[in-house]
Amino acid sequence: MEKLNRNLPPQFKTIEHVDIPKSKQAVLTNEIPVHIISGGSQEVLKIELIFNAGIWYQKSPLIAGTCNSMLNEGTENYSAAELAEKFDFYGAYIVYNNSQHDASVCLYTLNKYLDETLDLLEEIIKRPTFPEKEFKTILSNKKQNYLVNREKTNALAKEKFNSLIYGDKHPYANIFESRAFDEVQLGDIKTYYEDRYTADNCRIILSGKMDESVLSKIENRFGASAWNTKSSHTATKHEFLSSDKRKVFVLKKDAVQSSIRIGRPLFNKTHPDFAGIMLLNLILGGYFGSRLMQNIREDKGYTYGINSLLLSHLKSGHFAIVTEVGTDVCEAAISEIYKEIKRLREELVPEDELSLVKNFFSGEMLRNFDSPFALSESLRGNLPFGFNNSYYEKFLNEIKGTSSQKIMELANTYFKEEDLYEVVVGENKA
Amino acid sequence: MIEFDKFTLDNGLKVIVHKDATTPLAAVNILYNIGAKDEDPEQTGFAHLFEHLMFGGSINIPNYDEPLQQVGGDNNAWTSNDVTNYYLTVPKENLETGFWLESDRMLSLAFTPKSLDVQKAVVIEEFKQHYFNQPYGDVWLHLRPLAYKEHPYQWSTIGKCIEHIENAKLQDVKDFFFHHYAPNNAVLVVTGNVETEEVKRLAEKWFGPIERREIATRNLPSEPKQTEFRSLHLERDVPYDAIYMAFHMGSRSNEDFYKVDLLSDILSNGQSSRIFQRLIKEKNLFSTIDAYLTGDFEPGLFVVSGKLTEGISMEDAEKAIWDVLDEVSATKADEYELQKVKNKVESSLVFSEISFLNKAMNIAQHEITGQAEDINLEVEKYNKVCTEDLQEMAQKILIKENCSTLYYHAKK
Repeated sequence: MEKLNRNLPPQFKTIEHVDIPKSKQAVLTNEIPVHIISGGSQEVLKIELIFNAGIWYQKSPLIAGTCNSMLNEGTENYSAAELAEKFDFYGAYIVYNNSQHDASVCLYTLNKYLDETLDLLEEIIKRPTFPEKEFKTILSNKKQNYLVNREKTNALAKEKFNSLIYGDKHPYANIFESRAFDEVQLGDIKTYYEDRYTADNCRIILSGKMDESVLSKIENRFGASAWNTKSSHTATKHEFLSSDKRKVFVLKKDAVQSSIRIGRPLFNKTHPDFAGIMLLNLILGGYFGSRLMQNIREDKGYTYGINSLLLSHLKSGHFAIVTEVGTDVCEAAISEIYKEIKRLREELVPEDELSLVKNFFSGEMLRNFDSPFALSESLRGNLPFGFNNSYYEKFLNEIKGTSSQKIMELANTYFKEEDLYEVVVGENKA
Repeated sequence: MIEFDKFTLDNGLKVIVHKDATTPLAAVNILYNIGAKDEDPEQTGFAHLFEHLMFGGSINIPNYDEPLQQVGGDNNAWTSNDVTNYYLTVPKENLETGFWLESDRMLSLAFTPKSLDVQKAVVIEEFKQHYFNQPYGDVWLHLRPLAYKEHPYQWSTIGKCIEHIENAKLQDVKDFFFHHYAPNNAVLVVTGNVETEEVKRLAEKWFGPIERREIATRNLPSEPKQTEFRSLHLERDVPYDAIYMAFHMGSRSNEDFYKVDLLSDILSNGQSSRIFQRLIKEKNLFSTIDAYLTGDFEPGLFVVSGKLTEGISMEDAEKAIWDVLDEVSATKADEYELQKVKNKVESSLVFSEISFLNKAMNIAQHEITGQAEDINLEVEKYNKVCTEDLQEMAQKILIKENCSTLYYHAKK
């Protein structure tokens, strides 16, 4: 046998192309668009109905989220307990999502129980009754979860940061006091439902193993007649109001770690610089090999983890570095964070680091698109921007074509120190 | 049905291959038969600290992560009280990189003082982040020693205290490695778009030359039977009272496990479960409450934990839990209810088999506790459970003298 050379890595192939299966499109007779991602090894389906019904459209706090989670709390034909009993019996999962611009109801079901679970889904979407008793229980539990969450330094840091960059009245910050839970009116929830959960405000994504019969089952329940249609939806406008204050400290007594958030408002994925910023973000703090992770965790041991992220909202976006560090090293950690950002502004990223990050990103794309459910997840994030998943093919090419020079330019344009906001929550001011 | 091939190298390394052609990726999962239960009681948290050190460079490869990221791969690891599991995923074309990296750190680590110093600091921050800087974060640091008096499950994988992490020495690290990390103490599972012949070739090439090692014999003290109710009161700066009840039960590999698991499902799996319906929806005594099994390899715990609704007294909340538990002991569940939780189990198994990485971890766990083939018998084992079994388990386990209760009081 030949002598093994363990010092040399084996030959490897660079991923030249990521094959992203295309979704098919259909339209129900009442014009609800349906996106279909067929495939997978298991006899399971995911059916997601998405409505333009997020926080953006609520007139006071908590309405959108409470409305969404009240859908399975009783319908014209079933009580909340009966609905729960049936979903559990069929081994189905139902997941409720409420975000800034949309809200969804997502059914995960075994194919063999599709008819039964779809009937339940139809009930929930079209005929919820919003019973008073369930409403009270849900709000009281939500309030407790909210108050528990406010004991966490990272939750406080996130809230403060979002209020600085978007303004504390803006839905992207979504700030409210605990008394908001006592002020929500059931009537407002019902009105919101009637206004937002309508056929002309809905899109559907189907994913999993399926034949043509699935679409006709969807058509029968959600297409045939025009359900809950409203001629016009209330238009809503919100102004961004970033704070003049750049640095904020919030005291959290007895905290053994401080939560840090540093970042700024930016743009969303429709911006021409988005691919470049994505690469810049990866290098800085977007994966385990990132500079922040290597410096602040793997070299200094200040933290269990540090990441940076880009978030795309429909009408804006932001960049943020997020970490929790020991109280005693908070100041040192912050200074290292600024040092790493400065290095990106002043020095070209070496070619080998750039090619590593590009290769890692291609691998991430493979992982992110690995199953019909994963594909439906990305499609859900893309549709509001007018993209489908083929967006990522173009995006990957842009990533591959981005040079070190370009990254330095972007760092100088977008990562100026004076443009950054800084929030620290903990026991001591850094 | 998960199909796989299985073979053992001369050095004792067990290798299992499962092909899933629906993915362009491959997973390499190595499970080492070493966990927090194998630690010295005066040196706890060591298995987990050691897991961190496995990323600090190996004998021939100074950096583990970089070459993997270079080929589009990603990785992570976790430590439990029973085992330590390492996994990576790569584009299928680059499978060999995974073998190169994993075999070198099985061969030997770099053992640099810098890596030890840094990872001690990182783990101490992890300790603070998860156990001291979260409301209710320290519960398990107190519940474990209340429930276990002799068995090493009395400490968490993070360790008993920060001092134990601080005191770790490089020589301890080396000893730990050579006593527990070895081809004859591990299971290698490769899943995804792979061929058995190729995996065989790579396993022989990269892992074949690693020599067997003498593995420290496992001689764990067994936990004496609990004979009377135990309790502990803690007061903390949290918004609401909480209660945690732990009952001793059998091990994951015991046939009774399936009965107890379904019993816990009837109580608390899904919104139609008894605890959810009675204690949250009907009476609103709790804002959250859950019953679950720790699922440990050695005799484990059946846990009920909940946060009380504002204004509800600890006594009323506790009594309400006992009422539900006493009922499953006193009265047989009906067939419909049992069928419902069996359906749920079957469904969750089907969903869990979507991910090739999940399958790799599950196969490895089955192999280390018994044999990988058992993974395909799970549904059958659950299906054999009858309503009498549930009642019998409830009568045996859910009783006061088998219970340790932690009362977690909100500081007023």
